Amino acid sequence: MKINRRSFIKTAAASSAMAAAASLFPGISFAGWDQLEGASGMITWQKAPCRFCGTGCGVLVGVSGDRAVAVKGDPNCSVNKGLCCVKGYHSVQALYGKDRITKAKVRKNGAMVEVPIKEALDLIAAKISETIKAHGKDSVAMYGSGQWTIPDGYVASKLFKGCLGTNNVEANARLCMASAVTGFMTSFGIDEPMGCYEDIEHADVMVTWGNNMAEMHPVLFSRMLASRKRKKNVTIIDFATRTTRTSQAADKSILFKPNTDLAVANAICYEIIRNDWVNESFVNDHTTFHKGKTNIGYGTEDHFAFTDKPEDISFEEYKTFLKDYTPEKVEKISGVSAKDIKYLASLYGDPAKKVTSFWCMGMNQHVRGTWINNLVYNIHLLTGKISTPGNSPFSLTGQPSACGTVREVGTLTHKLPHGVVTNEQDRQLAAKIWDVPVTNIDPKPTYHTVEMFRALDRGDIRFMWIQVTNPMITMPNLTRYRNGALKDDRFVVVSDVYPTPTTEVADVILPAAMWIEQEGMFGNSERRTQHFDQIVPPPGEAMSDTWQIIEVARRLGFTKQFPWSEEEYIGKIWEEYRLFHDNPKHNMAPYTVLKERAGVQWPFVNGKETRWRFNPKYDPACKPGTDFDFYGKKDGKAWIWARPYEPAAESPDAEYNFWLNTGRVIEHWHTGSMTRRVPILHQAMPESYVEINPEDAMDLGVVNGEKVKIISRRGSVTMKASINGRGVPPRGMVFVPFFDESYKINEVTLDAFCPISKQPDYKKCAVRLEKA
Amino acid sequence: MMNRKNRIRSPQRGLSHAPSPAAGSFKKIFGSVMLVLTAGCISGIFMALPALAAPDIPPGFDSGGEKIFNRFTETPLAAMTGTDGTRNLNSFYELRQYPGSPPRIPHSVPFFFRDDTADCLACHGKGGYDARQNTYIPVTPHPENENCLQCHMPRRTDTLFVETDWQSISPPKLGRSQLGGSPPPIPHSLQLREDCIACHTGPGAVAEIRVEHASRGNCRQCHVPMVATEPLSTFQRNNEPGH
Repeated sequence: MKINRRSFIKTAAASSAMAAAASLFPGISFAGWDQLEGASGMITWQKAPCRFCGTGCGVLVGVSGDRAVAVKGDPNCSVNKGLCCVKGYHSVQALYGKDRITKAKVRKNGAMVEVPIKEALDLIAAKISETIKAHGKDSVAMYGSGQWTIPDGYVASKLFKGCLGTNNVEANARLCMASAVTGFMTSFGIDEPMGCYEDIEHADVMVTWGNNMAEMHPVLFSRMLASRKRKKNVTIIDFATRTTRTSQAADKSILFKPNTDLAVANAICYEIIRNDWVNESFVNDHTTFHKGKTNIGYGTEDHFAFTDKPEDISFEEYKTFLKDYTPEKVEKISGVSAKDIKYLASLYGDPAKKVTSFWCMGMNQHVRGTWINNLVYNIHLLTGKISTPGNSPFSLTGQPSACGTVREVGTLTHKLPHGVVTNEQDRQLAAKIWDVPVTNIDPKPTYHTVEMFRALDRGDIRFMWIQVTNPMITMPNLTRYRNGALKDDRFVVVSDVYPTPTTEVADVILPAAMWIEQEGMFGNSERRTQHFDQIVPPPGEAMSDTWQIIEVARRLGFTKQFPWSEEEYIGKIWEEYRLFHDNPKHNMAPYTVLKERAGVQWPFVNGKETRWRFNPKYDPACKPGTDFDFYGKKDGKAWIWARPYEPAAESPDAEYNFWLNTGRVIEHWHTGSMTRRVPILHQAMPESYVEINPEDAMDLGVVNGEKVKIISRRGSVTMKASINGRGVPPRGMVFVPFFDESYKINEVTLDAFCPISKQPDYKKCAVRLEKA
Repeated sequence: MMNRKNRIRSPQRGLSHAPSPAAGSFKKIFGSVMLVLTAGCISGIFMALPALAAPDIPPGFDSGGEKIFNRFTETPLAAMTGTDGTRNLNSFYELRQYPGSPPRIPHSVPFFFRDDTADCLACHGKGGYDARQNTYIPVTPHPENENCLQCHMPRRTDTLFVETDWQSISPPKLGRSQLGGSPPPIPHSLQLREDCIACHTGPGAVAEIRVEHASRGNCRQCHVPMVATEPLSTFQRNNEPGH
């Protein structure tokens, strides 16, 4: 322990007031933290985006010597205006868990042995070459993350797609954002929200669709509460499957049965049309109507494939389609009263009200995730409440750079930094910027995340490099994928900062630099790119993920494509990456601007950020003379989709009679590998639990804290019951936070996914309960 | 389904309320706990009376003068003097991870569902004496932030998941007047701590930093922020055009 209490007390005694305090109140220890020895007591403050969620709060990191010692909210950052959440305030403590991985490890005769990092990098490069030679280029894969910095994802894409010639670069954002992307692409032809967080202060009504923002996006939720308090006439509606902290703060909480949000969204549109609340001129000028395939499946079988076939329909045909979704019919499907459906429709339909919808995992982790995204856009398009301040369908992200690194850099197996691999022009642009032959870039997309881990299990993939993510907690139907990763002739490399269940399956562990131990950029939910400098040095031999990939690329002979020096590689990579987005729809800010500001929104055109897209008042990419221009589609018109209600992949039945829903809590972020090492967060939420409705608990005969076994067709977990705890599920549903590696709830969940986005549904499968 | 506005209109919000029909389980449990406590106190006082009175002397002589003594015995000294002094810089920093971090919640927060944040402000909005903990309640300097549990966490275990190597700087020193007797500067950032009166006055204030001249409302007339932990940059005059 580096604490030097003696010297501290001596210093303290120098101050008469402190001395008086110590003598007045003896026996009480001083500050709740160890004090830096020999520190000047001076702090310098440096800006960074927060490490955790997709909100992208600006933090100021206080540094003393070579250590981060404090945090405050960055008042210059428009996202959070100086306020953080408990995770942000204590984020720097996540750097200092005693079990940081500081040396590379390699599996030798079954045991992990520390080796110099150079040796580990040599081995990785050799394994990649060897595996490609023996099993073909698509047998090697990179599985990254929405916590990758933008340069991390960019060099991974360049190495695998440009140099090695396999599209096998996939990221965990498939598990959180894929439905948002396909929702945007099918409705607007271009990804990412049209609005920005300022919508919160402009909106009269905010509806959270299956989104417990009070815990998951607390800083934005505080902005909503502050706006309601200031303006008095603001209404917050919580539309969810479970009662949460957000429900408590909302003006009204409306519960629906799992998956029936599809029916309710259609019923809202039915009511909007029936009451003549349609913004006719907007709909005529800026939208077209379409339908796609129905009964589209759930993807639970290997090699599942699906391609939608859009067809044009008329407004009249759309109206006919909606006849199945009268509030009275939907009440029977959804459990939401016709009165509440009409109330929701009246809020969206009232021409005097500005309405913003927020959603995140509730709509994205959904076997019809793309559809429900489409359907909420329908509501905003029919009423013309879009792309203007306060009128915003707003898809939030859960990871700090799900937008920046995965969606913008395109680290998915069908994507390129600009466009898709199937498009020849996009391949040509990539080949030109990457300085590789265009024939290197394979026009055929490879595996989405679930199928990638199935391919690892089957042996189609033999080498996988996992960076900044913990799939051995987060994969649904986990047991199959862990057993697959552990098979004899699979080689798994894991770059991480702490030991996790994923490092346990690794053949090589690389020590990674974390967050502010490296320079990088994140991209948040509102198209904001946020740069951070290296603020403190990484421990031991830890190295940034970007530099790990560069080292391996050079060992594989790609020195021409990876020429940068360690002093300036981030800036050089950014300027090269920016070439992909050199147009008014996507333009990114130059490196020098990013360095100066607490985040810059793209499109960044003529030195200005774009706050609302598709609206010529704010967006210079729009055609002049229009009042809206949805330029993602060729004709400048957004698509309204007829999408039906279809049930979940697995619903409760006589044998498995409960829904299982999973998610997060405010204290822990994702799998807890960082937040559980922050004392205050672990001490506030030391372990996971299963939330049960009080009446179900009574039927089961369990009281608060007693153990319950949760059993599905795939596995079981036994954990403590939480009754009237943080959240309360309705009868027939249980909820489990997934952060705790001692209770791997994903061994119970189902790997069904949205056939369009391929994003799994972690919110719905069938389980039964036993008192344990 | 709940309606927030209905709940807020309930006159029985806060600490001392009885359970309202609209309130849920936490309020019911909490309310009944309070009722039991209150009932206990009241019966304590009245049961004491017959025991004290001598035989044949009816209770209530001298204008019921025993009440004074009984009340004096029943009322904790802290509640009468307005200074229990238990909140001091040591306990203040014990709740923090570094100077300026949001403090953790040092008392239990029911892990029931309805630990909603308006309940925090019932006590921490205006302060006052809390009989359960026999202490004065500190007042929040930022009551406008309603989502309290966004930043403040109770502790449910003393153990750690993994040992930590966390260290931070020492807290700022007090009483750093530039001249003998001159008003000391403010040694912390004003971010979220703009309201001097909330923390530096009243019985809930930290003993060492409680001011005795609170009646002079314009604090920053004499005290200016000197964020003592930040290095001073040297001022350079620049009269070049464009500056």
